[in-house]
Amino acid sequence: MRKRLFSIAYMFVLTLFFTSMVSAVKFFNEKKIETNQRVKLQRIILSVLDVPIDDDAPDRELVQVFNERVKAIEVKGGTVYVGYGQDGRTVRGYAFSIGGPGFWGPIYGMVGVGPDASQILGIAFYKHSETPGLGARISEPWFTKQFKGLPLHPIKGGNKIFYLKPEGTGKEPNELDAVTGATGTSRAVETFVNQELDRFVRKIRGALKNKGMDRDA
Amino acid sequence: MPKPLSNREIFIKGLWNDNPVLRQVLGICSTLAVTNLMVNTLVMNAGLIFTVAMSSLTVSILRSYTPMRIRMMAQTLIIASYVIIVDILIKSYLPDISEALGPYVGLIITNCIVMGRCEAFARNNPPWPSFLDGIAVGFGYALVLASIALVREPLGFGTLLGFRIMPQGFTPWTIMIMAPGAFFTLGVFAWFVKAFFPQATEEKR
Repeated sequence: MRKRLFSIAYMFVLTLFFTSMVSAVKFFNEKKIETNQRVKLQRIILSVLDVPIDDDAPDRELVQVFNERVKAIEVKGGTVYVGYGQDGRTVRGYAFSIGGPGFWGPIYGMVGVGPDASQILGIAFYKHSETPGLGARISEPWFTKQFKGLPLHPIKGGNKIFYLKPEGTGKEPNELDAVTGATGTSRAVETFVNQELDRFVRKIRGALKNKGMDRDA
Repeated sequence: MPKPLSNREIFIKGLWNDNPVLRQVLGICSTLAVTNLMVNTLVMNAGLIFTVAMSSLTVSILRSYTPMRIRMMAQTLIIASYVIIVDILIKSYLPDISEALGPYVGLIITNCIVMGRCEAFARNNPPWPSFLDGIAVGFGYALVLASIALVREPLGFGTLLGFRIMPQGFTPWTIMIMAPGAFFTLGVFAWFVKAFFPQATEEKR
């Protein structure tokens, strides 16, 4: 009996000691981890809003630019990040999160559209589990750059806002290069990004207008 | 009671003769997962060396107080605590690498190497040799992972530690970036070591 009680007491003390130790380390680093994640998101938002900033600009500078140029507003359907021009007043564009099923797992991204929601400013895919060297190339600049300037419009009938075609075969401005060797990923991206863009044009833009955010009426 | 090992013997055993990955075939999961980039491999190695060494040290210090029946529970708690600390530190100071390593840092908790050393060595040996044993085995693991990364990163990405080392026209071998590439590399490596450096017991056969 005494032995058992000792085991319980021993485990109790040991657990108390180690959990306190872990909690202390966590406590002192929590802020830093949070900042890391926030800065990472802010960097992506600035890049899809096409706000020029150095790739290796220090975090502090980045946060400063972000605070000056971007304001987050909540609308029905999600958070929209409003980007402002150099003067801090004229609207430069809107950024919002997109996401959908990829070939292997969910893909998360961020897209920026112009002030009258007529074209894309930039797009980024920042979290996915696509095949490295194949599907994972959707996050490379050559792929995401193609979206810049893509005209936006509500989807009607069987048409899509854009199509991904085998590399080099696209003829129309809305026919972009797919990733060679990653047909599954390309198809998945084409499907969910079109859906998300359509959702923006139909719903979020309306919500922005209601808030008096969109000049174009 | 066998004669206690000298520090030198402990090191040679952990690093080579009883190498955890090549000889005991432990910790394969993380070996396959994190070796496609040298930077990630090095961070993972540092994390594992720290965890094995500290866990062994702690288990050894507590060895005469820990009741036999609950020793596994205590070991798991100790190992998990150190792993979570490593995970938090990597997240704070190396956020990009933390993302690339994904769940594998946390999975050190279940890495057989760590608990294996606690059970097989630290439980019956004084703190200092246990600590050395942890370091040695950790480096044994690190040695194999770094060697695999040394093959995978240049062939898969054409780079080493992010610097381009393959000629411009080189076509990256995508398979080297994926898990099968690690299987091939590890397999060839293990065969090489077993064929050319057989252990005493294997030689007799």
